Amino acid sequence: MKTTRKRPIGFYIAGSWLSLIVFFSIFGKLLPLPTWDASDYEALGLKPFSSGHLLGTTMDGYDMFSGLVNGSRISVFVSVISVGLGGAIGAIIGISSAYYRGRYDKFVVLLFNVMLSIPNLVLSLALISTFASDTQDANASTLRRVVVLIVSLTIVIIPLVGRIARASTMQWTSREFVIASKSMGTENRMIIRRHILPNVAPAMLAIAFLAIGSVIIVEGSLALLGIGIPGGASWGSMLAAGRLNLEFSAHEVYLPALAIAFTVISTNWFGDYVRNSLDKREAKI
Amino acid sequence: MLQTIVRRLFGMTVVVILATFLLSLLMWMLPGDAAQLMVPNSVAEVRDAIRMETGLDRGIFGYYWKWLSGMLTGDFGAYYLNGGTRPVTDVLREAVPASLQLIIYTQIVALLLSIPLGLVSAYKENSRFDKIVSSTLFTLVSFPGFALGLVLSLIFAVRLGLVDPVGYEPFSGNLGTHLKLMILPVVSLSVGLTASYTRLLRNDVIATLKEDYVTMAASKGISDRRVLWRHVFRPSSTTLLTSAALNMGGLIGGTIIIETIFAIPGLGFEIAYSIGARQVVAMQTLIAIIAFAYVFFNSMVDIFMNIVDPRTRERRV
Repeated sequence: MKTTRKRPIGFYIAGSWLSLIVFFSIFGKLLPLPTWDASDYEALGLKPFSSGHLLGTTMDGYDMFSGLVNGSRISVFVSVISVGLGGAIGAIIGISSAYYRGRYDKFVVLLFNVMLSIPNLVLSLALISTFASDTQDANASTLRRVVVLIVSLTIVIIPLVGRIARASTMQWTSREFVIASKSMGTENRMIIRRHILPNVAPAMLAIAFLAIGSVIIVEGSLALLGIGIPGGASWGSMLAAGRLNLEFSAHEVYLPALAIAFTVISTNWFGDYVRNSLDKREAKI
Repeated sequence: MLQTIVRRLFGMTVVVILATFLLSLLMWMLPGDAAQLMVPNSVAEVRDAIRMETGLDRGIFGYYWKWLSGMLTGDFGAYYLNGGTRPVTDVLREAVPASLQLIIYTQIVALLLSIPLGLVSAYKENSRFDKIVSSTLFTLVSFPGFALGLVLSLIFAVRLGLVDPVGYEPFSGNLGTHLKLMILPVVSLSVGLTASYTRLLRNDVIATLKEDYVTMAASKGISDRRVLWRHVFRPSSTTLLTSAALNMGGLIGGTIIIETIFAIPGLGFEIAYSIGARQVVAMQTLIAIIAFAYVFFNSMVDIFMNIVDPRTRERRV
């Protein structure tokens, strides 16, 4: 039986955009570009497609293209690490609580409900302001802020992913093959690894793509609120800086905004694609 | 039935208490001293007075108890500034209506747009119209609200000069100005919402259209338009309405950034301000209000659905 399914165009568009971003984030430093954090005093506020500055410069003479390339590094780094960490922890908690049930499960559900009762952005705001209160001064290194951002976002992601993992595990633990395996005396750990995890994993992957998108949005929002990463080092912070010059050089705002939007659309698209192919597989069983 | 309602209300109370305690704990864990953070350049006596007043000198439980009993008796804490204090209730008086107006307008706009779009695209499933609407909406649902807000304010406020880029006019003031200033923020917030509502309604309507009673109604000779409204829309609208109600809470969080961009003095804007100004007590109160509203809406929806549609009773895991 032939299994090659025709993939929709969106798959290729979203895929190439995301590959481009990942390429920039890894090899961006090797590209022959003007440095992103040094101003070119002879080229202030250039419009896009000027000579020497592909996407123009900011009012302060920073090159937009290298800024975006550099920003992709932080955006990808922050979102992948926090979603990876938060997803892993959330999945462990969610799967184990749904599998073992009992008091532990009740406690986990309560904890998730408590954390989910505070909207994402608000929770990240509260966490960051706690962890980062002494990084407010300009001397604090970008690295420290990135670490604070990642820790806070990881905590926010845990209940989001954990709840899905729990719900999904719940469906699978009542399936015949799991019950059969249990009755044969297979160890719980083994059942989770062999039977539950492979079935829950695709759903996790779908939610992970969506989570990456929302983390990028949250990063941008935090920067706009003035507590993200400073100095134009990420897309959000370019946006926040450019906002002040909205009237004079609009591309300072719409270029990072578009970069964020395209990336989020692409990750959402992928998440949706994974979920749909999952539903089709489910329907066949 | 009554038992379910009581259980939901009890669960809601537990969640709210724990969430607010978690927030207190966060404030407590702040490196350094909260009083010092709020009023950095003050004499020791002032800071001691603040500690006494907020209960910061009585440990985490003492502080939480002081804050909670204050909230229950209408004392919502205060902003501690170098020149004196300002009660949070002062701010809430303007912030709550501003945020509520923003949210209600957004819901109205989103529902008004998504109901016809969802119905028609489901009715014409897989037609060109449906495909265009679906793919456009899918793109819009993932378009970040703040990006949209900034682009809209660039085009309509800065370039075309049709409206002021920022500002807020209370409902009780000049109604025309009020509505005009609300247009851009409401549009920025409602685009994503419209997209998700339309998708929900479309899926439900497609499922309902396959029901026997719809075929029956159509075969009786009732016009398609009437069948859609009377026989299809009503049973398909529950998911949409549930989602709309659940979004009331979610939107309060989502408005933070839009309120900041458009300088609307709502809850979100005040939270951002209190974080910037290190007003931890005020910030805790504001976040707690949002958490409470969120949990409250969710529980109300649950209870309401329980009464309206008994089928949902047993579904809960």
